Amino acid sequence: MASFERASPALKEILLRIYNAEKPIEVDHHLYEFGSVEYHIKSSVSEPQVTYLSISTPFLSQGVFLSYGLSPFTLKMVRQISTDVLHIVEPANDGYQLTLRLDFSKLPHNKESLKIITEVSSVQAVILSSQLKEMLQNVNSWDSSQGMHKPIKLIYHPKEPFYVIRQPQKIVAVFPMRFKDNSDVIIATSFFQELMDVVSLKKWAKVPPCNWSPIPPLELRGEPFEDLSTNGGFVSFDISSHHVEGKRLDKTVWSLLNFYAYVKHHVKCTRGFIQRRMRRRLDNLVKVLENSRVEDGQIKKVQGWKKMRKMVGSKSKMIKRRWGDLGKKIKRIRFRIKIHGFARFRRRWLTMPSFSSSTGYTKLQTNGNNN
Amino acid sequence: MASTLRLYLTCIRNTLEAAMCLQNFPCQEVERHNKPEVELKTSPELLLNPVLICRNEAEKCLIETSINSLRISLKVKQADELENILAKKFLRFLSMRAEAFQVLRRKPVQGYDISFLITNYHCEELQKQKLIDFIVQFMEDIDKEISELKMSVSTRGRLVATEFLKQF
Repeated sequence: MASFERASPALKEILLRIYNAEKPIEVDHHLYEFGSVEYHIKSSVSEPQVTYLSISTPFLSQGVFLSYGLSPFTLKMVRQISTDVLHIVEPANDGYQLTLRLDFSKLPHNKESLKIITEVSSVQAVILSSQLKEMLQNVNSWDSSQGMHKPIKLIYHPKEPFYVIRQPQKIVAVFPMRFKDNSDVIIATSFFQELMDVVSLKKWAKVPPCNWSPIPPLELRGEPFEDLSTNGGFVSFDISSHHVEGKRLDKTVWSLLNFYAYVKHHVKCTRGFIQRRMRRRLDNLVKVLENSRVEDGQIKKVQGWKKMRKMVGSKSKMIKRRWGDLGKKIKRIRFRIKIHGFARFRRRWLTMPSFSSSTGYTKLQTNGNNN
Repeated sequence: MASTLRLYLTCIRNTLEAAMCLQNFPCQEVERHNKPEVELKTSPELLLNPVLICRNEAEKCLIETSINSLRISLKVKQADELENILAKKFLRFLSMRAEAFQVLRRKPVQGYDISFLITNYHCEELQKQKLIDFIVQFMEDIDKEISELKMSVSTRGRLVATEFLKQF
């Protein structure tokens, strides 16, 4: 039930389509949200102005005072959406907790109609928040009858229960925080610390004080172990009477119901932000490495020099080879015919000249040797 | 840049300049094979002494040199849990995209966060000086990025907390 919008977008779209249809249309939609909320929208051609909306939603608490279905307080809150357009059908359709009869003929033909349809679409949020509102209002008498301030476990999401504890001058809402990933825990922990820092500022003196602790608060002693085993610690809000007065009650209740969704949304967005930054930095680093690549011009220059060296080398080799051939011929001649004095002539004129390389060096004789 | 960081990076730069004189050298064990000796370590005569440069206990750089390859392993500063996950995330992100860098090793050497492997072929393709500049800039950028990310995550958290409290 991670949605910050009160109105269900899908339900709103269907209701608007029925309302704006030029000809009466036959609609029989079953709509599921968050795995546990079910809507059934029914509109027939025979009765075009009337649409039936049935809703099934899990209860926020399995407490005794809600075991009989929707409380009168909740029904009153639902009726307040629009007394003209909306009527509660009793009993509700089978398998649903609430069935509403919507009379679109009584909707005003201006912007007000869109507003009313949006409010009708937020009926599930109204039911849930009214349950919490009722608890906050009645919890004192309920607790006193039992003689102790027992925590009330609220299940807004099957895996994410939270607790409301009534204390002498305040109500404490405790959220056990659980995350799948270790990195999520650290991002969320950083967020909780920032939240505590911000709350402690004078500017935010009117908001409920917030506290984060890695261990469960004392008030939750005796609760099931699986509910108290968390990896993200416990966040608690101390709600005083002035936080639940008048219009502030609605805001407070909605903020508390959506706290989990809010934190998870922040963690998800932060992960996305980190990923974007890493991608950008990767591009910059790759550019740096690309710049270090040897350019084409430099390669050509090197190749040209190599070619020149190759050519020079081949010429000298050619000369050497020619001299070698001539030498061999002379040797052959020498072995076969003996000419007197030819050996001296050969040493003087026909020996191979020694080629000194340009990179070679001549050993200099020291003065000591000369002496 | 902090003076200690500048000294640390200068030391690494100078060591790399000295170490990065690689040449082609075929494998002595297997004919027609050419392998980075720093990885295989088949012949001790082809290896030089590794150099370990430490800025502090948490930040160090190991430079292992051989005749035809050079391995640089880095350990990045992780002061707290947030820096730890940011560093892990970022270095894993880079390691998974190692093909974009050529010289980056997919798996770091044990005890280090990220490793580079530079062979003589890389030195032929890339300019030595700019390759060293890249390694040094990489180290600078990692530090900078982790610090900035940490700041950004805290700032975002503060803004989100403020927005949440505005609802009351």
